[in-house]
Formats: sequence, C-alpha cells, structure tokens
Amino acid sequence: MRIFPALVIVLSLVLSVHAQDEVAVRDKLAKAIVADGVDRQKMIVELGDTGSKVAREVLTAWTRDGVALYDSGSGKIPVMLEDQTDADGKSRAIRVDTGKFLVDDKKQELKFGANDLNSADTDAALRGLIQQTLDSLALSDPDPNSREAAVMKLGNSAKLKNVPVLEARLANETDAEVKKSIAEAVAMLQLGSPDPKVQISAAQSLGATKAMGSLDILNALLANKATPPDVLKAAKAAADAINSHITAVNLYGTVFRGLSLGSILLIVALGLAITFGLMGIINMAHGEMIAIGAYTTYVVQNIFGTGFAFSINLPFHFFGHPLGFGLKLPGMNATGWFYESYFLFAIPLSFGMAALAGLALERSVIRFLYRRPLESLLATWGVSLVMQQLFRMVFGANNVQVSSPRWLMGHFSLSDVSLGYNRVFVIVFAVMIVVGTWLLLTKTPLGLLIRAVMQNRDMASCMGVRTARVNMMTFAFGSGLAGLAGAFLSQIGNVGPSMGQSYIVDSFMTVVVGGVGSIVGTVYSAIGIGTSDQILQQVTGSPVTGKIVVLVCIILFLQWKPGGLFSIRSRSLD
Amino acid sequence: MRKSVLKFEYLLVGVFALLFLVVLPCLNAFPGPNSWLHVSDFTITLYGKYLCYAMLAISVDLLWGYTGLLSLGQALFFTLGGYMMGMYLMRMIGDLGQYHQQIPDFLVFLGWSTLPAFWKPFNHFAFAMLMAVLLPGVLSGIFGYLAFRSRIRGVYFSILTQALTYAACLLFFRNSLLLGGNNGFTDFKFVLGHDVRESATQRGLFVATAIALLGVYVFCKWLTTTKFGKVQRAIRDSENRVLFSGYSTANFKLFIFILAALIASLGGVLYVPQVGIINPGEMGTEKSLEAVVWVAVGGRGTLIGPVIGAFAVNAIKSWATRAYPDLWLIFLGTMFILVTIFMPKGIVGLPAQLRGLAKKIAAKMDGRNGEPKSVGVDAADTIQPAKSE
Repeated sequence: MRIFPALVIVLSLVLSVHAQDEVAVRDKLAKAIVADGVDRQKMIVELGDTGSKVAREVLTAWTRDGVALYDSGSGKIPVMLEDQTDADGKSRAIRVDTGKFLVDDKKQELKFGANDLNSADTDAALRGLIQQTLDSLALSDPDPNSREAAVMKLGNSAKLKNVPVLEARLANETDAEVKKSIAEAVAMLQLGSPDPKVQISAAQSLGATKAMGSLDILNALLANKATPPDVLKAAKAAADAINSHITAVNLYGTVFRGLSLGSILLIVALGLAITFGLMGIINMAHGEMIAIGAYTTYVVQNIFGTGFAFSINLPFHFFGHPLGFGLKLPGMNATGWFYESYFLFAIPLSFGMAALAGLALERSVIRFLYRRPLESLLATWGVSLVMQQLFRMVFGANNVQVSSPRWLMGHFSLSDVSLGYNRVFVIVFAVMIVVGTWLLLTKTPLGLLIRAVMQNRDMASCMGVRTARVNMMTFAFGSGLAGLAGAFLSQIGNVGPSMGQSYIVDSFMTVVVGGVGSIVGTVYSAIGIGTSDQILQQVTGSPVTGKIVVLVCIILFLQWKPGGLFSIRSRSLD
Repeated sequence: MRKSVLKFEYLLVGVFALLFLVVLPCLNAFPGPNSWLHVSDFTITLYGKYLCYAMLAISVDLLWGYTGLLSLGQALFFTLGGYMMGMYLMRMIGDLGQYHQQIPDFLVFLGWSTLPAFWKPFNHFAFAMLMAVLLPGVLSGIFGYLAFRSRIRGVYFSILTQALTYAACLLFFRNSLLLGGNNGFTDFKFVLGHDVRESATQRGLFVATAIALLGVYVFCKWLTTTKFGKVQRAIRDSENRVLFSGYSTANFKLFIFILAALIASLGGVLYVPQVGIINPGEMGTEKSLEAVVWVAVGGRGTLIGPVIGAFAVNAIKSWATRAYPDLWLIFLGTMFILVTIFMPKGIVGLPAQLRGLAKKIAAKMDGRNGEPKSVGVDAADTIQPAKSE
C-alpha cells in the first residue's frame, strides 16, 4: 500500500520531465519555422537528437506544406490546421509553439479555411535537411523497436551519406539489440562503397554477425557484374553463412512451434489418457470439453469487458407462450492491468467448468456403459453432437474472438529465433500440469484409489473403495484437463463450435502411440507427434501432406509396437 | 420362438422387396403426376439414397455385429467406390461441361489441357467397376493384414480405422490429387448412354440398387449360416478361444474386412449417379460414425436391423433438418444416447426387450400381491435372475 503514493510521485515526475522536454521542443520548432538561413538549419539539426514525437509530426507536416503562418500583428505564429473541418469547411488551428488552439483577444478559437493562410516556406535543400533530421529523430525514438526499424530503413537506403548519421547514433545508443542493428546497417551501407577494401570488410562483418536483413543486398551485389572478384568472394562467403543461419533459425523455430503444439496435444491427451487409458471409456465428447474451456475463457474475458448475454428461442410453444432461454451476465468494464489479468481467472474457471460438464456426463451417460466400451463411443458421440449444436446456438456458428492479454503478446528472440510469449507460457504450463497429474496419481490417497480402481475394479470394490465415486472424480479430472487445454488453445488458435473435432483424432492417436494407461508414454508421444507434425509440414511444404505422413507413420509404428511406446505388461489376456 | 422371429424377418424382407422392386417404381412410372398414387422422382432418388446407405450399414454390421470389429472406416470404402463411379461419370460428360472441353471442368480450372494418364481408362465403365472392386479391396487388404497381424483389436482397431479415414479425407481434399479437391465430382450427364437427369434412368438405378441390396442381404444371410459364419461369431464372443482352438483368426477377420469393404464400395458406386455428387466430405470421420449409429439403432447382429436403422435414422434426419434446422443435431445426438443406453439391441430387439420388461413387471406385481397360492417355485425362479441383473 505504501508503495502506491511513491509510484504516483515517480509517475508524475516522469510526466513533468516529458512535459518540459515538449515545451522546449515546441519552442525551438516554432522559432525554426519563422527563422531563416543558417540559424534555421542549425536549429533543425539540433532537433534531431530529441527523439520527440511532436518534432516528427511538425517537421513531416512542414515538408508537405502542412504548416501555416498566422500573422497576429506582433509577429508570425506558425500553426497547423486540424484535419477535422466544420460545416463551412473551416478548421481550428493548433499553435506549434504551445500545442494549444489559436485564440483571438477574446479567447475565441479562430477558424480558417484551407487557403486562408500562407504555408511556411520550404525549398529542396531545406526538405533534404528536414528528412535527415527526421531520420535521426526516428533513430532517437524512445521505443527500441521503433529505433531498430528506423535503423534497418536507413541500412536499406543504399545511401552512403547515412553512415555518419548512424555512427553518431551508435555513440549515444544504450540498447544492445539496437547497437547490433546499427552495426549491421552501417555494414550494409558500406557494401555500396566504391572502395573494395571497405566492401570486403563490410561483407565479412555481415557474415560474422549473420545479419539476415542484409541477404537481399548481398545477393544484389553477387548478381552485379561490375563487382570486383575479391569482393564477390567475400560477399559469397557472407551470403552462404547467412543462408545456413536462416535454415538453422527456421529449423529451431519449427521445433519450437512443434513443442508448443505438442504441449497442447499433451494436455488434451493427458485428459484422454486418464478417461480412455485408465477408465477404458472412449469419450468422443472430449473435444467438446476443450471447447468448453475455450468458451469459458471467452465468457470470462467478456465479463471483464462489456458483459455477456445470449437468448435462444425454441420453435415450441407451451400453452401459447414461446419457449426459450437466455442468460445475461453484467460486465465489469475493467481496464488496464485488471482487464489483462482476466486470463488468470479464466484458467481455473475453464478447468472447473469442463470438470463439471464431465461430472454431469459421467453421472448421466457413462456410468451405464463401463462394461461396454465400444458403445460408450456411440453415446458420447451423440453427446458431442448435442454440445456442438448448443455452442452454435449460444455463441454463434462463427469463431469468437479471444484477445490475448498484453503480457502474453509479443516475443523475444534467441539468436534470431523468435519465441512467442504465449507459446512459451503454454509449454511451461504443460510441464506444470504433467507434474501435477503425476503427483496426484502417485502421491495422494485419491491417486492410490484411482489406480486401484483402474487396475481391478471388482477387487477394489471388495476392499471397500467406493468405485462409483472414484470413477466420477477421475472422469471429472480428465475432462477438466481438456478444459485447461481449451483455455490455452484460445490463446494460439481459433475458438469455434467444432474446434474440438480437429484435436480428437490426434489426441486419440497420441494416447494409443504412447501406450494406453501410461502417462509417461503419453508425454513422449505428444511431444513426438507434435514436433514431427510441424517438421513434416515444413519439409513437405503443405500442412495436409505432413499430417497424412504422420498418420501413416503412426499406423506403421503400431505394427512394430502394437501396445504403444510404453505398453503395460500383463499376463492376462485382454 | 426363434423360428417365428426368423419367419417374421423373411416376411419383412419379402414385403420390402416387393415394395422397392415393384410397387414404388410402378407408382413412379405409371400414374400421372397429378394422381394421388404418384410417387415423385424426388422420393425415388431419396429412397434410392437410403438403399445405398443400407448397404453401407450392412457392411458395418457384418464387421461389428457379427465379428466384433467396430470399423470407423467404412465410409472411406463407400466413398472410394463412389469416386471410381464418379470418375467414369465425369468422363461421360464429354464436352458438355462449363468450359466445353474434352476434360473435366476442374482440370481445366487447374490449368490442364490434356487428360492425366490415370484418368484415361475411366472412359470404360468396366474399368471403373474393376477399380471400384480393386481399390477398396487392396486398401482394406493391406490395412487389415497389418492391423490383424499385429493383433490390433477392440477400441484400438476403431481408432486406427478412424485415423485411416481421416488421413484419406485430408488427401482427397487436396487439389493436387486431381480428383476435384474440395468440390469433388458433380454435374453428371450420362450413365451407360442414358441421361441421368431423366426419371426413367433414375428408376432403373433405383431398381438396380434394390436388387443389389437384396443380393447383398441374401449373400450375407447365407454366409452367416455357414461354418464360416459360426467362426465369425465365435471370434466376436471370444477371440482367444477360437485362436487356441487352432483357427487363424487373423485370416478370418481379414476376409470379412475385405468383404465388408467391397459391399460398402458397391453402395458407393450406386450412390453417386442417384445423388449426383460425391466429395471428400462423404468420407469424414463423422460419416462412418453415422453408419455405425444406423446399425445400433436398427439392431446389430441381425441383417434386417441395419436396413431398418438406415431407413429410420435417415428418414428422421430428412424430416428434422427441414422442420427444426437449428435443433436437429440435438435430436439426433439425444437419440443416439438414448438408444445406446436403453436399447442395446436396437429396434429389432425392441419386442423381445418389451416382452422381458412386461414379464419382469408382471413378476414383481405377483410378488407384491403376496398371494400364498401363486408363490410357486417357478415364480421365485423367474424373479431371482431378474434381480441379479
């Protein structure tokens, strides 16, 4: 609590510093526009290292004749007209020096038409100078990503005169990433140098840093017939190094995506490994449990936002009254970090909702079918049809939009392989879930009961275990895991009424390949299938072919090991 | 008891055969369109479709009801047969397509100017039929050999067949397979020189389908009464005992798997010219499951059951999709759940189930009345097993 006021003070300090900066920049801008000759040029150049947004706006407008001069009698005031015009086609003017609207003596806002005022004058030389300043302004932008983009833009400009600009920035730069980009950009520019020695050293440094952005320029140099032979050799070496680096980056990127896909598959299949592997129930509605998790996330997001409501009219009447049902959940209209935290609430809720649905399913349908596993397939398929249609009625037939919280967006790079936060998050969570499930099954009394019932239902029942209860809990837990998978899936895939269908075949395969009843096997096979799926997609160049190859491989694999990777050995005949 | 059931089944088959082979085609052909007796072309095509589905259902039942192999891949073989017929029908369009060229429209659209080599023999009906036998036969042979050799059974067999169908479905969705991709084949014009859009042709196809279904029924009926049929049912009830008795169960299962694939393929061949379209959606995983549901609803382990189930479920589906477009999936799903839980023997088993229920209730009533005279040994014996169930 005590931190809070301190934070406010720091924040306001930061704000005031910015405000002071802005006043100074605006002042200088206004002076530069009305000044002329050397003074003007000097002032414009000085604006270059402020990194100010205002300066960029005004200077850009200036080169496009967007800055006008208003003669107040006592001197000229530079103004910019608003984009928005009133009924007469006139608009208010913003003073460059203060950022406020231009007013007359009676504090009335003045309005002007497009041709009422004279534009501030420019000429070719001035525009060149302003462009240069704009470049260096972009280079001093407070956001490192924008700075990097500006650096790369200059690097691709093929104008040697930009080298000193970049080198000047290098001296002031603090961010390591941007520093690296500047070095790259300088080398890229130097490739265009008339001096072969400079060219060679530039190519060598590009090859050493494996700058992927420079490949186009290097290729252009290689294709150019006028390139001297030793430069050609250096450029060739650099291009080869970069190409092999790109291959490696793509490979690692694919493996990473495969891992994250495998993690989702793992969470889905872990639920199946419990309901199918341990209980012997083929739950075709497992995919719809995923959808429940994903839709729960969607509803939670809406409750944090503007609320959620639906109503359905059934085509039936009851004594003249149309039948139907609906639900209205008020929204909290949360903003900022509280809104962003919705996902943290959605994770346990989606587990809970799917577990509840699983509980209801077990009590109403599955408990009649424990001795008829093949028929459980049919009944649960019926459940799956009903649930899909319900989703369609409640949430619409189209995919719904689940926006990732800001802290899951973005990515970080590990030697040019970009790792999305959401995918990393999924992988980390999958590991936690696997560990949690393992602990539950092996270290808790409930886990002991679950294993006892699954190994020999009759014997466990004779020992006084309430098997019906254990079945219920186990099935609910397995379904809950599917719900969790749905919550994560909503962050990296589409959320729609039939989303579960696309995972159900894959996850059954995962369980079969891993060895039915073996959690460890499921882990290995989920990661294996997920990764090989992604790699084969990359190799064969089409997602469909990759998938077909994987499925065929699985069928062949089961020839070799019919019981899966980790089959449970038993003397009993099935 | 059992004999009378069998007699009833034959009676039912006779009535069905008469209806589909004689009555419906005649009512379509002879009374004028305004007569109340007239059966519309639409109805003929619709029932023709159901007849094809009935063949698919019999193929599922032969595997599931008689051998205990729940295959979720029968729709694949059905569609393969359909595609072979479809390729022949596409060639018969000639230059009457949208682009007025000698090759199918979708090939023109994909930038082909000459016919790919593997399409050429499909100009001949006989070759298309040969392929409709060979392709499903060989595919089911290879898959069955691999699966049964490594003793994949029960649930695993179901999941693997589902995966096979899924893979094939993805493959057929691809344009580069040159089989029409997403849209499949449609817009057929001629079959064996007759215009498919004419009602006489449709009637002919309908009768042909009815004959084919009757043939399949009679053949399967015969097969299940032979020694082979007994081994088949023995495998269903206890595969290990059959294995230990010296029978190579894998070979028996392989034979029945290939046979079922061929029956499904025959259904597909007759399906395409009547429905007028075939696309990869027909081999989606849910289509195979639907066929299994027809069998479950009709009654598995009988041959008349799948036919009744295919007709009943599809008739309900046709009605519900029109009457309650939003709710029909919910109807259908609920029906599957209820049938699976409460009617494990399906419609065919319903009379026996009701009789059993009536007996049980009667016995309970007797017991509650507690009349000392009626507490005979017989009554007590009938109550006991009922309670222990």
